[in-house]
Amino acid sequence: MSQGELDPVIHVPARLRIMVSLATLPEGDDLSFTRLQDLIGLTPGNLITHLRKLEDAGYVRTEKSGSGVTARTGVSLTREGRAALDRYTAVLRQLLDTVEPVSPRPASG
Amino acid sequence: MNRGVAMQDSADEGTGMDVQDAAAIMQQARERAEHELRVSYRLLFATYGLLYLIGYGTVWLSVRGQHPYHGPGSTALVVLTLLAAAAVVVTVVVVGRAFSGVGGWSARQRRVALLSFVTAIVGVYLLEDALFRAGASWSVIGVYGAAAPMLVTGMAYAFSSAFVANWSVFGLGIWLIIVAATSAFAGPVGVWAVGALAAGLAFLLVAAVRPGLRRS
Repeated sequence: MSQGELDPVIHVPARLRIMVSLATLPEGDDLSFTRLQDLIGLTPGNLITHLRKLEDAGYVRTEKSGSGVTARTGVSLTREGRAALDRYTAVLRQLLDTVEPVSPRPASG
Repeated sequence: MNRGVAMQDSADEGTGMDVQDAAAIMQQARERAEHELRVSYRLLFATYGLLYLIGYGTVWLSVRGQHPYHGPGSTALVVLTLLAAAAVVVTVVVVGRAFSGVGGWSARQRRVALLSFVTAIVGVYLLEDALFRAGASWSVIGVYGAAAPMLVTGMAYAFSSAFVANWSVFGLGIWLIIVAATSAFAGPVGVWAVGALAAGLAFLLVAAVRPGLRRS
């Protein structure tokens, strides 16, 4: 990925929402898989797929704890993930600044 | 249920998302997460403002004109107890909803802070009982019963402001400590009125000026 290019790992609606949602938590906190699923509105299978891609990129960390009814999977942003989201936001701002505002079409007839 | 931007429930990559779409998704996702994951302190402060204003105000109406002071009537105590119980329920629901599924360092901080506060409040009422058994007058019990919970609440806010780095919480905490200490000089009747106005209105003021969905 070159400088000035949106990170393709993040630049997917579901993954962007996952990253932004996790970034609202303070560093050191995590969100349970079920609460994240409720927040993002994805099926468990799709959420797992997106999380795996983010995890492979080193942007999120999943941690299992407990067993049986107390089993919990916590999902959190890594430092790399936070930095990647900051870079993504900065690039997005630059791109938005360069996009011409769409002017209304002249009325026909 | 997903109330955010309409989004395909899919794991595929073919999104065709342009920069405006991305900016809109980011904003909506951030707003939704903040709405869901952050405590609405505005609601909590308004609840506690009403607790002090109405609860302490009702007790004051019950005890004003007493010579000698012999404590609030049972109706006023029931009103105060019901309002306190309602405030606890609102706190549990608001905080529980915001922090459901959230783990990590701040979860541990919250548990420690909550345990400390509950212990202190229970201690306040145990000490009141001990004072009564030791022969303290109704006047002393009245002053203590009104001022001590404000003092403990003020200390809890002042200390917790260090963790959440928030000046309005710190200011409210310090104000409650000052009100608790100075209202005691108003005597067993006046302490309820001063508490109702000074603490109740302070909570409501902070609730009014504070953004509703900030953690810090």
